[in-house]
Amino acid sequence: MQPFALEYARPVGDLEVATPYVYDSGRQVNVLLDGRVAAGDHALLRELGTTTSTAGSKTHFDD
Amino acid sequence: MTVLILTTEEDVTADMVVVCLNESEVPVVRLDPADLTGSVALSGEFAHGSFRGHLSSGGRLVGIDGLRSVWVRRPGAPAARAATPSAWLTEESAQALYGMLLGSGARWMNHPDAARRARYKPWQLGLAQRCGLPVPATLITTFPRAAREFAGRHPDLVVKPVSGAHPQDPPRAVPTSRVSPETDFAAVAFGPTLLQQRVAKRADLRLTVVGDRLLAARKAVVAGADPDEVDVRFAASAEPWRPAGVPPVVAAGVRAYVRAAGLAYGAFDFAEDGDGTWWFLECNQSGQFGFIEVDTGQPIARTIAEWLARPDAGGPEPAADPDGTDAATR
Repeated sequence: MQPFALEYARPVGDLEVATPYVYDSGRQVNVLLDGRVAAGDHALLRELGTTTSTAGSKTHFDD
Repeated sequence: MTVLILTTEEDVTADMVVVCLNESEVPVVRLDPADLTGSVALSGEFAHGSFRGHLSSGGRLVGIDGLRSVWVRRPGAPAARAATPSAWLTEESAQALYGMLLGSGARWMNHPDAARRARYKPWQLGLAQRCGLPVPATLITTFPRAAREFAGRHPDLVVKPVSGAHPQDPPRAVPTSRVSPETDFAAVAFGPTLLQQRVAKRADLRLTVVGDRLLAARKAVVAGADPDEVDVRFAASAEPWRPAGVPPVVAAGVRAYVRAAGLAYGAFDFAEDGDGTWWFLECNQSGQFGFIEVDTGQPIARTIAEWLARPDAGGPEPAADPDGTDAATR
């Protein structure tokens, strides 16, 4: 009774990406341990994939 | 006047826009509706023929009449993290929050009504057709026989979720996948199934629309790539996204689309075939953009910040070339 599209589903790995930054409610952005804004470190964002088109799929329709 | 951003704390893509707004000294309040009744609070009073309301979050207080724009990025379900969450409390909180915000004069990216409609993929395909954008032959059906007949007419097929959502129990991904025409389509009866003629593509295209600005990026299919890997989101490729120009006919179609849809932001996905035709696949009304900016250096976050910071809806769009595409993209 499984819908057809789910025959093509793949298991996914751990969705909880360990990120080296935390949200700073005062600055309203995520910051690295050294205080830099995480969004300014493009190499890090590329490595973590947290801005990619599958990053929001867990809770949102919009990739 | 303040920009209100509704999103989760971990949304580092939103941070890119917050940074730009801070640089422009535009006041920002960022909150996640999931934190309502916890660190987020609201109040509004209708009296003497007028309304006064305010929101507070993280020690910041903003009047609802002091909002210049609302960016609905990745908001959590209202009150989802309340001390005693429930579906009833979420609905109550959604009614209170969005009901008051909808009564403000703020500009929306995107307006909730437009966003809700724009998420329907069948609606997207129809609108794209009406706007003159080429759409691959597509069937959405629960009739196995219709699926078999469609496969007979279009033997090179893919299947993808109608909603774009991935199942969570257990967590699985449903990438766009090739389907053999000899496949047993009996399971089509167990759920609406979207089958689409595969585009033999030489590149994927992501066209990000912000207001009147078009920022396009192209990712070429590398020689020798596995033809079964049709979903660029899941295909391993060392090829980066690169800035791309937008053919005038596509620009015109996309502008007609966002105008008809009432969208201030949209992330369009196209597949470019061997003739250079851009085939419309979908438009995500809140699609991700950080990965494109990281690869291409295109100023998407800044363009969003500029749109959000504009003082009123009647103000001029940020400077763009006469054909509306961003100079940095060409």
